[in-house]
Amino acid sequence: MLLWLVLAFAVFTLYLDFSVRHQFEGKRWALPARVYARPLELYPGVKLSPEQLLTELNLLNYRVADAPLEPGSFRRSGNDIDLMTRAFTFSEGAQNALALHLEFADGHLDTLRDLGNAGTVTLARLDPLRIGSIYPAHNEDRVLVKLDEVPAMLINALVAVEDHKFYTHHGIDPRGMARAIKSTLSGGPVQGGSTLTQQLVKNFFLTPERTLRRKFTEIIMALLLEMHYSKDEILEAYINEIYLGQDGDRAIHGFGLASQFYFGQPLAHLDTEQAALLVGMVKGPSLYDPRRHAARALERRNLVLSELLRQQYITQEQYVAAKAAPLGVASKAPGGTTPYPAFLDLVHRQLRRDYREEDLRSEGLNIFTTLDPQVQAAAENALARRLPPLEKSRGLPANTLEGAIIVTQAQSGEVQAMVGGRDPRFDGFNRALDARRPIGSLIKPAIYLTALEQPATYTLVTPLDDNRLVWKERGTRDWTPNNYDRQFHGEVPLHQALANSYNVATARLGLSLGIPRVMDTVHRLGVTRELNEYAASLLGANELAPIDVAQMYQTIASGGFQTPLRAIREILTAQGQPLQRYPLSVEQTVQPGPIYLLTTAMQEVVRAGTAQGLQQYLSPELNLAGKTGTTDDLKDSWFAGFSADRVAVVWVGTDDNRPTRLTGASGAMTIWGDMMAKLDPEPLNMPPPENIEMVWIDSESGRRADSACHGAVEWPFIRGSAPTETAPCVSRSPVKAVKGWFKRLFE
Amino acid sequence: MKIISRSTLAAIALILSACGTLSTGEAPVQPVSSNNAVIALVDSARSDNAGGRLDVAAATLERALRIEPRNPGLWHELAKTRLQQGLTTQAISMAAKSNAWSGDNKTLRAANWRLIGEARTQLGDYPGAQTAFDTAAQLQR
Repeated sequence: MLLWLVLAFAVFTLYLDFSVRHQFEGKRWALPARVYARPLELYPGVKLSPEQLLTELNLLNYRVADAPLEPGSFRRSGNDIDLMTRAFTFSEGAQNALALHLEFADGHLDTLRDLGNAGTVTLARLDPLRIGSIYPAHNEDRVLVKLDEVPAMLINALVAVEDHKFYTHHGIDPRGMARAIKSTLSGGPVQGGSTLTQQLVKNFFLTPERTLRRKFTEIIMALLLEMHYSKDEILEAYINEIYLGQDGDRAIHGFGLASQFYFGQPLAHLDTEQAALLVGMVKGPSLYDPRRHAARALERRNLVLSELLRQQYITQEQYVAAKAAPLGVASKAPGGTTPYPAFLDLVHRQLRRDYREEDLRSEGLNIFTTLDPQVQAAAENALARRLPPLEKSRGLPANTLEGAIIVTQAQSGEVQAMVGGRDPRFDGFNRALDARRPIGSLIKPAIYLTALEQPATYTLVTPLDDNRLVWKERGTRDWTPNNYDRQFHGEVPLHQALANSYNVATARLGLSLGIPRVMDTVHRLGVTRELNEYAASLLGANELAPIDVAQMYQTIASGGFQTPLRAIREILTAQGQPLQRYPLSVEQTVQPGPIYLLTTAMQEVVRAGTAQGLQQYLSPELNLAGKTGTTDDLKDSWFAGFSADRVAVVWVGTDDNRPTRLTGASGAMTIWGDMMAKLDPEPLNMPPPENIEMVWIDSESGRRADSACHGAVEWPFIRGSAPTETAPCVSRSPVKAVKGWFKRLFE
Repeated sequence: MKIISRSTLAAIALILSACGTLSTGEAPVQPVSSNNAVIALVDSARSDNAGGRLDVAAATLERALRIEPRNPGLWHELAKTRLQQGLTTQAISMAAKSNAWSGDNKTLRAANWRLIGEARTQLGDYPGAQTAFDTAAQLQR
């Protein structure tokens, strides 16, 4: 019988031995993927004001200092800023901490010098803002540290308070345990009495139940762990494993993260009293939470300090100084939940195409994204600022309107900002990606582009018919589109029909081009969704999400080159090795000539058409291009447009699809204007493609004119497509006719 | 007959593409940018290119393009790197994109057309390559 018992015990021990070694050696902490915004590039000439830089430094938690000698600190004096960047590993390699002197002038960085040797710096980057994480199962978050990065005082405190025999015992402390067992057997409270090794075993291998059987297993495992591994290995594992707090859904594990979470500092920088506080919290992270129970936490910290004094780890002097120090906890914890849920949603979706969910959540990947926090702030603020007055002006109850915004870089397709709703912090329905709504007149550029791709038939001045239209199709009711002003405008030049968004002229044009052909253009502009091909599709009955619209207008803004919208630049492994790049790719899907003509007409939308009101926000000299969109019963208000540097799309509506009483111009466009004004857009001056010529056209007759003709306007044409007949104003003066003849001769 | 003419064309295209390699490999007469940061990035990309670190070169050029998104010289540099990376279609698109922003810069446009010619040759589109080389020649006349 005894033999059997011994045998069973031996088998059990062998099993535990295997499982301890297997798990300890195979243990790789699940590390969340860390997501970063774009790093701010600093170089002489970059458009950047001191205020913008300060905003950025503030986001990055840089501290004000008399002399910026520590990484992550700065000093401003007038228009000059001195700062020291934090070292950071980018995909091209590590950038050391740089001490920089910056001078600003006229809204740009004028001088960039090395603070040390006063030499000019050509190009430097700030460390990028961490904008979120993708957490492992149980939302465990941690920052791994090596034992040699841990301040000695923290280890001293840990040993002093939790297990002062740590360096001499073999995994268990029989006397402490005897006390615990006695207390449990006598019906008293279940006591701890655990060594650090036992605590680690509990966290690592076991469930949180408290039974004698589990205690027994724990003891065996602790002994086995000590047999196989050194004290340092065990201590390092403990320091990275221990649970130290909760941040919403996120569990704070390990001293490395706890140091950042409570003090906003790397572990190596902790003072004695800070180390003492963290060690004190091991006993009960929520009980001694310094943010919620400051007094209790302070008492606990001081207890740890007195233990350090008693065991002579610190002097009486150090004790007095540390005890007098305040808790020193950073008032706001660095957000575990992202402030940019809509953008992170986009990042996550793009990642899921290439990575397994479990790898994203455990491999500690570093994900470098395209988010520009300053553009994002402009977008969020514009939406927040404009929606309440819009509701008021339309007699709508407060908080009924919703909105979404996407901003991209015009040439590269990098997504700089995304707002998924009027509460930009709410991590829920992402309207920018998922609200599919009829796009109304936003479709029109695709129709006019289809026409302008046929220069033999259509130019910007081709007259279009805006008289009443009845479209008959077997099996459907007659379709009679109306203009917004309920009037017909007779014959209008093509550019004007787009600028004023005339529905009837556009519908007639689209029908003669052929609906499938128009929808093909929409696809060539980058929309991948399937599109209905009804007559009403020509006036935007198809439902698209704001991101689809952004892709469509991106292709127009980049001159006919389709560039997939990207939120991620590259991914580095946890060790900083490049893992994957998301390279810029372009595909020419529309010829530059017709795109140039279309853009000219879209500039007229802003200069003299439905988006004239934009001039309240932005100078007409910027030559911005855009299009308003309004849907039936004023349910959706859209605006999409671009400057030389940015494409932006704004949608405003309600989640339950009720009328908003807003047109594209009275709703979304005002938000677009408010936002873009803050972003100081670059003027849209496009170099004409090779096959474009400028020709004077008589506005009255639509015929060829010259600069002397009263009211004549110069329009671009694909070479050879301009009208050949001359307007009556041209040949009136014989001198002019002769001059013109000579001019043509020498051209 | 048809076979002969095809192989002749292919041979011509290949010879021309060899010339193209030489000429697109030349350092451009004008600096790519007046911005020192951009110049530094282009220099670094060129040395990465020469050292065969094509991915790094491409990433560096993309960084330069973030500073000057409409600089046709940068799009040309990226087109060259894409061609070296074997991303032929991308090389053609980027050379075309460079052309779209080139304005009156005939030297750069000619270099772009030569690059397109090379890329088309690699794709086996010999007539297309011929047209591209002809366009380049015309621009430099």
